[in-house]
Amino acid sequence: MSYLSNFSNTPRTNKKTAPSIINTGKTYEYVDNGEPMRGGMKDVYFGPDKTYVVAFYRDKQDYNSRERLKKLVTTYYDSFFNREGGDYFKELYCWPTDMVEVDGKVGLIVPAYNKNFFFKKGYVTGEGIKGKEKQGLWFASAKFRNKQFSLRLDESELGSWLSYFQVCVKIARGLKRLHAAGLAHSDLSYKNVLVDPVSKSATIIDIDGLVVPGLYPPDVIGTADFIAPEVLATKHLPLRDPDRKHANRTTDLHALAVMIYMYLLYRHPLKGGKVNSLDTEQDDLLSMGEKALFIEHPTDASNRPKLDQLSKWALPWADVTKLPYNVTGPYIKALFDQAFITGLHNPIQRPNADMWEQALLKTTDLMQPCSNKQCDQKWFVFDNTTSPKCPFCGTHIKGTLPVLDLYYEFKPTVWKPENHRLMVYNNQYLFQWHVNRHVVRNEKLTAAQKVPVGYFTYHNHKWVLVNQKLTSLKDLTEDKEIPINTMVDITDGKKLLLSNEEGGRVVVITIANK
Amino acid sequence: MRRLPVYLLLDTSGSMTGEPIEAVKNGVQVMISSLRQNPQAIETAFISIITFDSVAKQVVPLTDLASFQMVDIKATGTTCLGDALKVVSTCIDNEVAKTTAEQKGDWKPLVFIMTDGIPTDDWQSGLEEFKKRKTAYTVACAAGSGADANLLKQITENVVSLDTADSQSIAKFFTWVTASIGVTSTKVEDGGKEVTGLGELPPPPSELNIVT
Repeated sequence: MSYLSNFSNTPRTNKKTAPSIINTGKTYEYVDNGEPMRGGMKDVYFGPDKTYVVAFYRDKQDYNSRERLKKLVTTYYDSFFNREGGDYFKELYCWPTDMVEVDGKVGLIVPAYNKNFFFKKGYVTGEGIKGKEKQGLWFASAKFRNKQFSLRLDESELGSWLSYFQVCVKIARGLKRLHAAGLAHSDLSYKNVLVDPVSKSATIIDIDGLVVPGLYPPDVIGTADFIAPEVLATKHLPLRDPDRKHANRTTDLHALAVMIYMYLLYRHPLKGGKVNSLDTEQDDLLSMGEKALFIEHPTDASNRPKLDQLSKWALPWADVTKLPYNVTGPYIKALFDQAFITGLHNPIQRPNADMWEQALLKTTDLMQPCSNKQCDQKWFVFDNTTSPKCPFCGTHIKGTLPVLDLYYEFKPTVWKPENHRLMVYNNQYLFQWHVNRHVVRNEKLTAAQKVPVGYFTYHNHKWVLVNQKLTSLKDLTEDKEIPINTMVDITDGKKLLLSNEEGGRVVVITIANK
Repeated sequence: MRRLPVYLLLDTSGSMTGEPIEAVKNGVQVMISSLRQNPQAIETAFISIITFDSVAKQVVPLTDLASFQMVDIKATGTTCLGDALKVVSTCIDNEVAKTTAEQKGDWKPLVFIMTDGIPTDDWQSGLEEFKKRKTAYTVACAAGSGADANLLKQITENVVSLDTADSQSIAKFFTWVTASIGVTSTKVEDGGKEVTGLGELPPPPSELNIVT
């Protein structure tokens, strides 16, 4: 819900009451000053203490729509939140809690957004957007972080590059849970996801557009920039035509991939220089639909952005030669390939939300802090070269760099690579999810599993791992147990057994940048 | 990068002297600062101001929201609406990029016209020129009882009227223009919901009457 501002000259404060149509006898107060915030389909009024809003549909809702909304605030609300682990998901969505009706108009009770989703400072200069919602586009566009742009965000609002990986994890998790329940969001876009790189959080809003595949037909085709190519390519067909493609789980996955690409690279993956029609509207429809082509396609360069045709404020991010998508690391690059090359016109090939979550998390293990204090991104993904450097500011890594490759026991005495690597930096932590392959890093982790089991530090001119909680850590190279509260040297070629329990991993150490 | 060009044609004839012209100036300022709070608008919208009295002139060329600076305008002279339509036609030719084989062009422009009186020049010849240009939509606003909504209907089917040309009504109009630009800067890129008329815009505030 992005509300259009209103400039009321005559505030006529008037408290009104709306009765719930779910919970008999329950009512909600709201303030009607005659000038509600107007969304696309709804008029929105604040509750007296602003802890919730009442959002009334301007148009009459038919039976189908009312039933759908009822289900969202009852059955689905309960299955998402009124069960173990439900509290975690409360942060990921702004989910309507009740449904009201006044004069035949249906309204939803929606909790107010958390404080962190409103700008504390906003623009670097002036009041402007202080106190406004942190709609995703503020953080998905290169302009608002360009030092030459007068309407750029204050540095205190931007977070580091690492923050956006965490923000994307939250979005992927939110979508994963929806899909697990058989729901599709149908209109995932930066307008419908609030993000906060400062607290590293994200929340999916406008939940009332949710669709249950097969049960209720989607009533929207989505928001520009995020609509899947097959939906655009068939939108000219009648609504009930069997070939017409509607919003569903796989179109959500297109939107998710676009969103992650934009939050990490601040450019759109399909908006390049290729002209598909001399008619502007037709060109846009083709370029985002039937003829959509990844701007960084490895073998078809025809849609590369033309830098001389772009806003100067879009740089440096618009320059795919300077900052190609592989700066996001091997796991995410592979998923971008799947989303924008193999899966772009083949929806079932698109990576699902869980794959994104895992790839994003694994990539954070490949990240290094940039030693340049002035670096805008502050973190970068190790580029797997012998002379690693920050792709954003060009600063080389100083000193040696331990690289730990994780292995699991495929069968007794046979160890296979996990395709998971942990880059060490000073004060980097080791966690259970590194130690044991049965511990998965996701929202189900217990508080105990989130406590580090050891840490790496550069001590007396050498790298060491300090064991804090590992009961069976063993230096396999020197055949030596490493008890808790002792440390082991991290040297080139060394093998460490992190745990002798079922699922326990071995790490093989390589020292890079020697 | 595709731009969304927005042309505001503002009546600065003598009858606008006093409260109306001040309200227009204020309206433009409030509109710009409000649009500067909308990231979609900042990404795409470019604004130009054309004033018309005894002559029409483009006082602010098509400018992005971050760089936009309003100039002082004064109310004087007659109401050369026809000349304004000619000027906006020329500006569209010169400023709005066409799509070519090598370059993606701009979106079709939005044109808002506000006038409080009857045109004093040969407005039909200006209209003839203007009709040759493609716009996403044109909205004409008849401000106060001195304006002729039915005449404006010949320029565009989208005509709104203000009962009085006082500061409050004019402010409402600019609020609505702001919302329209905001909605359009999002929707115009959406292949599914091409904006072509008033039906797609946010509902006008109660002080605005849509002339049908």
